Amino acid sequence: MRSLRTLAAAGAVAAGIGIALAAPAHAAGTSQVSVLHGVPGITVDVYANGDKLLTNFKPGTLTDPVALPEGTYDLKVFAAGKGPGGTPAIEADGVKVPSGANITVVAHLDADGKPILTPYVNDTSTLKAGQARLTVRHDAAAPAVDVRAGGKPVFTNLTNPNEKKADLPAGTVNADVVLAGTSTVAIGPADVTLKEGTNTIVYAWGSAQDKNLKLAVQTIAGLHGNPGGVPSGTGGLVDDALPLPLVALTVLAAGGALMAGRRVAVTRRR
Amino acid sequence: MRRWLVVLVACVAVAVGVPVAWFATRPPADAGVPVTSVGILGTDPSPSPTGAAPAARLPTLTARPAAPGATTTSPSPVRLRIPAVGVDAAVTPVGVDGRGFMVIPREVRQVGWYRYGPAPGDPAGAAVVAGHVDARQQGAGALFPLRGVEVGNTVTVTVDGGRDLRYRVVGKQTIVKQRLPVERLFARDGAPRLVLITCGGPFVPELSSYRDNLVVVAVPVAAS
Repeated sequence: MRSLRTLAAAGAVAAGIGIALAAPAHAAGTSQVSVLHGVPGITVDVYANGDKLLTNFKPGTLTDPVALPEGTYDLKVFAAGKGPGGTPAIEADGVKVPSGANITVVAHLDADGKPILTPYVNDTSTLKAGQARLTVRHDAAAPAVDVRAGGKPVFTNLTNPNEKKADLPAGTVNADVVLAGTSTVAIGPADVTLKEGTNTIVYAWGSAQDKNLKLAVQTIAGLHGNPGGVPSGTGGLVDDALPLPLVALTVLAAGGALMAGRRVAVTRRR
Repeated sequence: MRRWLVVLVACVAVAVGVPVAWFATRPPADAGVPVTSVGILGTDPSPSPTGAAPAARLPTLTARPAAPGATTTSPSPVRLRIPAVGVDAAVTPVGVDGRGFMVIPREVRQVGWYRYGPAPGDPAGAAVVAGHVDARQQGAGALFPLRGVEVGNTVTVTVDGGRDLRYRVVGKQTIVKQRLPVERLFARDGAPRLVLITCGGPFVPELSSYRDNLVVVAVPVAAS
């Protein structure tokens, strides 16, 4: 477990570097922003700085990423059709969007069941060839949990609204969520595909009390590394140089020429 | 003396003529367009309108369900044929080894498809298939004849389920392994293309390895 925690910490550092490096690749002064709706039972409209950003946004859905100019945003979430005046269902003022980051804003319940907005910075640093990144985020009204893969804890003691992550070999893992330190399954199990070269982000959302805990999955592609090379021959059959018999013939002829030359020279001197 | 002069001339002719004739008659190592020029996206793409616009109005977002579900994948390639030079090989999906190199099937008559990248038939990017040119124990490999491939030759890839995808060779190039442009040859974006890789160039016995990679690039032929 310790190694995984170290991994997660290293990942966090890598994320910071990734953002710094990614900056020039994006259009100047924007970040990729996605929004996930993780509050059960309420369809909403989302406003940013008074402009409508999203209409009829349903629980368990995720938006495609969109480039938002860097700056500070006041986000307000209203029950569908009830905005933008009046008291919002959820609001977050002064949400900072930096330049060149990849962000997911999640509307979810806090540990006590109160709706909140949490912005997460997604780790888009380049992976090694064959690897996938798994990020898990606790966005449910539920106590601390462990995330297991194939029955073994991968991330332990994850609390709302925190995240943990690791770079793992690509493949499919059978994941479930249990109450921390127990084997009491809270969510799942579900097969989660960790596609090579992606950051697969799994969100636990809903409410334990209302028995509607669920998983949501976001995938960020294009983080792949490439193989170091293609080692594809050990025989030496197609050696792209003068074949040995021809080399021998050439050497033989050169020797002959040398001898004949000497004879010619000697004969001349006589 | 005259006799020795004739011998001298003959020997010089052979000593010079043999290597020159060999170099002159061997098949050209490179042909067609540079392999890294095929299907590559421009290095300076025009900035996307959403990114460049100092948005007075915010873009409208579209949402889709985020429940975990089965991801769709293209069928894997199972067979590679280049009739013009007699290549006919089974294809197996491969990944990377512990050092990060592409895995090449140990059985030299098989070739490997880089399963992390695009599959033949995917809408974008390079599907990479590599195979041994030979191996010390097993002799010639499936891609031994690859150096004889010519621009315009047809490559047929059969994918799982039996469908044949046809490609036309557009470039062949020998590249020193240390300088293999993997980020371009394994690119997952740009026009769809097939990249075939084996070994070539001089053999380095001390390393049991060839100095170069031989790379062939082919583009899809529209089904008529």
